[in-house]
Amino acid sequence: MTIAEAAAALRRREISSVELTLDCLARIEKWNPELNAFLTVTAETALEQARAADAEFASGLDRGPLHGIPIAHKDLFCTRGVRTTGGSKTFAGFIPEFDAAVVERLRNAGAVMVGKTNLHEHAYGITSENPHYGPVRNPWDPARSPGGSSGGSAVAVATGMALGATGTDTGGSIRVPASWCGITGLKPTFGRVSKFGVLPLGYTLDHMGPMALTVRDTALLFEAMAGHDPRDSSSVDRPVPHCLPPEGAISLKGVRIGLPRNFFFERIERDVDAAVYFMAYTAEDLGAELERMRVPDGDQLNALAHTTLLVEAAAVHEPYYRKRRSTYGEDVRTLLDMGRLIPAVDYVQAQRLRRRILGVFLDILKKVDALLVPATPMTAPLLGQKEVEIRGQMEDTRLAATRLTRGINLLGLPALSLPAGLSSAGLPVGCQLIGRPWEEPLLLRIGAALEARTGFARRPPRFA
Amino acid sequence: MPSLFLPDWKALAEAHRVELPEAALERLRDISRTLLGLRGMLDWGEEPAAIFRVDASEPEPHP
Repeated sequence: MTIAEAAAALRRREISSVELTLDCLARIEKWNPELNAFLTVTAETALEQARAADAEFASGLDRGPLHGIPIAHKDLFCTRGVRTTGGSKTFAGFIPEFDAAVVERLRNAGAVMVGKTNLHEHAYGITSENPHYGPVRNPWDPARSPGGSSGGSAVAVATGMALGATGTDTGGSIRVPASWCGITGLKPTFGRVSKFGVLPLGYTLDHMGPMALTVRDTALLFEAMAGHDPRDSSSVDRPVPHCLPPEGAISLKGVRIGLPRNFFFERIERDVDAAVYFMAYTAEDLGAELERMRVPDGDQLNALAHTTLLVEAAAVHEPYYRKRRSTYGEDVRTLLDMGRLIPAVDYVQAQRLRRRILGVFLDILKKVDALLVPATPMTAPLLGQKEVEIRGQMEDTRLAATRLTRGINLLGLPALSLPAGLSSAGLPVGCQLIGRPWEEPLLLRIGAALEARTGFARRPPRFA
Repeated sequence: MPSLFLPDWKALAEAHRVELPEAALERLRDISRTLLGLRGMLDWGEEPAAIFRVDASEPEPHP
């Protein structure tokens, strides 16, 4: 069941929030031992919240489409009275006294929290192979990574352990797991969703966003999460537009979609290439105009993004790292050490170059409404796989996984990742739509049109 | 050859008493090479360079 379907069923009194929550809890009990998507399950408080939602419905109080809907939070979001580990040993015992802004907003919208999801340690990695809590496993093939860092959230949604989830994206951490688990995820425009109460990783790169089975569900979560928050200095005071795409078939007449000739379609698996082109031709069939174009070099953009992240993450973790270095896993330790070595001048020049490249992208996005590109160059790798072979070339798995997403964080542009079908091996392929700042509603509309035509939003067969 | 723009990352790591695997050092080398190339894209006409100019062909000034 999707959020939209559950919301409709709740209002028809065909199901209660308690029943929805019990179903999610039963799925967690059955599948979490194998998939390791949750670090903390809050069954008791979830049922309390669900009972309260049912009582509110009975009294005529309706908080909107998320009222009574079971969701999960990535364990990077502070939750009052509930352990928030950041997937780390460093914060293994941390129990916040307040909710993150996003948690607060979703709670006020009536959502029921079933638990906190597993992630790559400190959200600093893309595979969700957590050295302290064990790896999250991909529901399409448990021998494979679900992607990360929001891996637990993606798995929870894909398997129906929760109907929606929160994620964070600093270099692809919503879009990569969404892609590898066959679900939808939105990295909003920088400043759109408050970062207050979320353990940071990269001050100028972190984005909070929703993950759900369908584009429509993603829109519902996004509308509730977004909005100005003075407690986050980078939060922008702009009204949140109506984002929910219409139901059923949607025309894309008048929509211009750019297909980059360079970088995004170079060095990607053949199945990924075919799947994303299928989505492009589907968009054309729905009335969109396709335009092939050149974009700034992605490898250069990634170098700037990497410089920025390495330095910012080292700065974020400085106080903890000094006191508790031994609590960090080996891969995160290496990245934090690398960040401490980068000259400050390089960081500053990277920020100057960032502004210039953003200008080029904004010019491109005057000519087209969105870019359609793969979310990742390949489908989910095996857990423990250090290198992947793409078109005959060996590449570091972590660098390959984020190659097509990382640069978009540097630019702060909104990007929607959605399913583009299955590879010949039966693994999900994801594509992403990249748009102009603040134009999430258009991306969601294009995504919903593609989803309605292709029908690719589905759970892995075992979990249907 | 190490320079101001292309540091010897291994020596730098040792100076900071940090042990980095070869893959991490190679990534740092890649990044600094790319950044060096990208410096050409910087707008050197931005302030302060637009106001404070140095002509390298002229002799060094003496205070």
